[in-house]
Amino acid sequence: MISLAGRDIMHSWGKFVFTAMGLGLLIGVTLSMAGIYRGMVDDAKVLLDNSGADLWVVQKDTLGPYAESSSIYDDIWREIRGMPGVKQTANITYLTMQVRKSKEERDVRVMVTGVTPGEAGTPGWPPYLVAGRQITRSHYEAVADIASGFKLGEHIQIRRNQYTVVGLTRRMVSSNGDPMVFIPLKDAQEAQFLKDNDAIREQRRRTAENPAFNQPGMPSLLDTVIASQSTNPYVNAILVRIETGHAPEEVAESIRRWKRLTVYTRDQMEEILVGKLIATSAKQIAMFLVILSIVSSVIVAFIIYTLTLGKIREIAVLKLIGTKNRTIIGLIVQQSIALGLIGFVVGKISATLLMAPIFPKYVLLEPLDSVLGFIAVIMICILSSIIAIRVALKVDPAEAIGG
Amino acid sequence: MKKLPFQIRTLALIAVLVPLFALFVYVALRSGPLAPVSIVLATVENKSLSPALFGIGTIEARYTYKIGPTFAGRVERLDVHVGEHVKAGQALGGMDPVDLDERIKAQNATLKRATALLSETQVRKDYAKTQALRYEQLLKAGFASEEIADTKRQKLLVAETALTAAREELSRVRAEREALEAQRSNLSLIAPVDGLIISRNADPGTTVVAGQAVVELIAPYSLWVNVRFDQIRARGLAAGLSALITLRSQAGELQTERVLRVEPLADVVIEEVLAKVVFDHIPDPMPPIGELAEVTITLPTLAETPVVPNAAIHHIDGKLGVWQVINGDLRFTPVSLGIADLEGLVQVQEGLKIGDQVVIYSENALNERRRIRIVDHIPGVTQ
Amino acid sequence: MTGKGVRISGLRKRYGSGDTAVDALKMVNMHVAPGEVVGLIGPSGSGKSTLLKCLGAVIEPTAGQMMLGDDVIYHDGWKIKDLRALRRDRIGFVFQAPYLIPFLDVTDNVALLPMLAGKPNAEARQQAIELLKALDVEHRAKAMPSQLSGGEQQRVAIARGLVNRPPVILADEPTAPLDSERALAVIRILNDMAQRFETAVIVVTHDEKIIPTFKRIYHIRDGVTYEEEGQGRSFE
Repeated sequence: MISLAGRDIMHSWGKFVFTAMGLGLLIGVTLSMAGIYRGMVDDAKVLLDNSGADLWVVQKDTLGPYAESSSIYDDIWREIRGMPGVKQTANITYLTMQVRKSKEERDVRVMVTGVTPGEAGTPGWPPYLVAGRQITRSHYEAVADIASGFKLGEHIQIRRNQYTVVGLTRRMVSSNGDPMVFIPLKDAQEAQFLKDNDAIREQRRRTAENPAFNQPGMPSLLDTVIASQSTNPYVNAILVRIETGHAPEEVAESIRRWKRLTVYTRDQMEEILVGKLIATSAKQIAMFLVILSIVSSVIVAFIIYTLTLGKIREIAVLKLIGTKNRTIIGLIVQQSIALGLIGFVVGKISATLLMAPIFPKYVLLEPLDSVLGFIAVIMICILSSIIAIRVALKVDPAEAIGG
Repeated sequence: MKKLPFQIRTLALIAVLVPLFALFVYVALRSGPLAPVSIVLATVENKSLSPALFGIGTIEARYTYKIGPTFAGRVERLDVHVGEHVKAGQALGGMDPVDLDERIKAQNATLKRATALLSETQVRKDYAKTQALRYEQLLKAGFASEEIADTKRQKLLVAETALTAAREELSRVRAEREALEAQRSNLSLIAPVDGLIISRNADPGTTVVAGQAVVELIAPYSLWVNVRFDQIRARGLAAGLSALITLRSQAGELQTERVLRVEPLADVVIEEVLAKVVFDHIPDPMPPIGELAEVTITLPTLAETPVVPNAAIHHIDGKLGVWQVINGDLRFTPVSLGIADLEGLVQVQEGLKIGDQVVIYSENALNERRRIRIVDHIPGVTQ
Repeated sequence: MTGKGVRISGLRKRYGSGDTAVDALKMVNMHVAPGEVVGLIGPSGSGKSTLLKCLGAVIEPTAGQMMLGDDVIYHDGWKIKDLRALRRDRIGFVFQAPYLIPFLDVTDNVALLPMLAGKPNAEARQQAIELLKALDVEHRAKAMPSQLSGGEQQRVAIARGLVNRPPVILADEPTAPLDSERALAVIRILNDMAQRFETAVIVVTHDEKIIPTFKRIYHIRDGVTYEEEGQGRSFE
């Protein structure tokens, strides 16, 4: 027995493949949606992994430093450094802001991260580079993620200083997907605090006008006050690395108890980021995914139905000359599955090669998603053929005989 | 087995489907977590590093003189402006004397009175002396009584003490007058050295307190840079080292300077070491006080050692080391490191030999199980 | 082997029940011998279509008897179980239009029937080619139906009807769209094939061009058949 479905496809293959490609793009969009969700979760995970920390110490009762703003003094790390189980500590600051290339108008949204000076391997430093080198000077050098569009050797402007890009990274992003730019901690503290020149002048003027600060009997008081307003002794978090052999929760608990700070382990940070920060976006995407799947099902059903309707006469003839119902059902279902197969192939290719690179956020297409998607597509095709099958079965073979 | 009629239509269909499936397989294997990671290798070389220290500082004057009155008063006049050069001893301005002139006049009068008083006591003493001598002689001749002679002698003593008192009084008054005159001269603001006026803090008519600076001047061309270095990176900082300064206003131009001294007191909270770096040649025009400067101090070149770029160093499981490709697989080699320079090279003390290849760049984080692909540069990074 | 051709006696077909019942067929008697080609003529509404559907084992009559060769395929309420297999193996259909499956080539169009019956593909195709030879369209064996002329398509359709060597062929207005020359050609082919394969052929038609060629004609009017002697003219 020959395959009727195969012969039919080969006979009008152009129309078939064209239809399959259209379906494929729809499937591609659906796969991309799943990829976008996974990308968001991956952004959060990657942020935590790249910081190289086992614990995050933040301002008491905040969800910081990523989900909420947190400020702690920059000398607290000393107290934590001496606690049992703590191997290494490092201050870190995060500030999401617009940064532009020097002498250009267009700016880019980045997360400026202030890293503690030290050697490679300090927590907070980018764990791997794709070009250039790590920061060696204590000021005015930066390592940027390639997603920001900055290149090696370029000068970028952050607040009031210019920085030279000395290294490039990949996949160093904030939980929002904003590319990260690493600069020395002191420069970052200044950037976080010091505003532009106009604001500073304004502040100085107001301080000078305040009689409490500008007493004639104490000429140096005003200068001292202004100087104190210009320093920033805060950082956003302290990253802690634990000695091997100690349990993170234990060390976290002792820091919490004795230092009265809030401490999160890796698992807790992940829960905060994934559970709270991206929860809303995740719900939106899940909804889209469901809608797209329903739309895809409807479209597949419609296509198969139309294809079958176009063959009604042949189906009547086949029935009349004695073709089994089973064979006719097979014709429809096989076509439907072939459509789904080619559609899925086109969808996967377009999602990987076309949609994922273009989308502004990171799209992570996992093999498991593809497998599940494939199974879903085939199931949808089979179920969608039911309407067409019902039509085909209802055909009266006598119709082939003119009335 | 289905017999395929080899018609053009079938061939065309195959021509479309086969590449499609091939592409699909390619996509499945080459992207996502199954894909190999591109890495770039670097070779461990033998180099002698020139470590350097980097810090930023501000330009300051070595000596700043704040000229002001020693007591509260009102500024009467200010003869100089910012940017003027003045000579040592030049009068820059003056405070309002208020009643000082009158007090000097009064003091002069008192002085005159004291002088007159002195003369008077002098005359009295002379007279007393004459009297005492006369009665002495009369006593010797038996023409005067002992008592009178004693009285005359006593009068002489009194006159002498009065003279002494008047003399001391004159000294006192004179000293007081000198004091007032000293104060008077202090009203004048005098430049202590040849210098450059850098600020006028109070204009004429302003009341100032004692110790407040009315005018500030600096010895010109005695500028230095007050530089701050991170403690972690300040090893080897010592006086006498040569330095390169880049002024913020002249970005890109370097001046050669010299480290004058390293401050003994480091900043505890900010964890910085302070140093003063002087200019070998003051740049012309003179840079403004307070301008920011970047200072790089080159330390003596070290002996040749194996070096590795700092981008190759990673911290895995509590150890510092590098990734190497051994027999096509990734392996982590712990190393111990030495000194680093500012260009990103670090000395390797143990763990690697010259000629070893290490992974310097990678597309993703590496672990021993990842499949790898060695390339010249990471795709997606434009040079 | 076909045996005794087609024999129908007392066939009745009633639609509906009770007061609204209508008898599309009241009394139908027909017999066609193997090798014989008879005409079946009737106006619309005469029950012709209903009779055709009964003959084609598409619908089930209400009463009477139908025999195909030696087998009773319907007898007063009882019918043969697998009507579909019956249609496939023992009845050949030739329609007004060729109704070839457009996505199968000529050989496979004809070979489809034996394949459906379970014959291996090679054998089925062999069988098909024999018929194509007989109908003089073997040279078009690999072509697709759309590439054939109308007459060639009709011949392929006839080959399909004959491929399983059924005892009866039902031809429904096979010459309606054709001109005289082609119409006569079709009738001649049907006669040739009927004799060669010893098949009984019933041609439903109202085409004046071919009616004179029949030796026997059945008229049907108001659900009753009447036999008539035909002219039996030759096919020129």
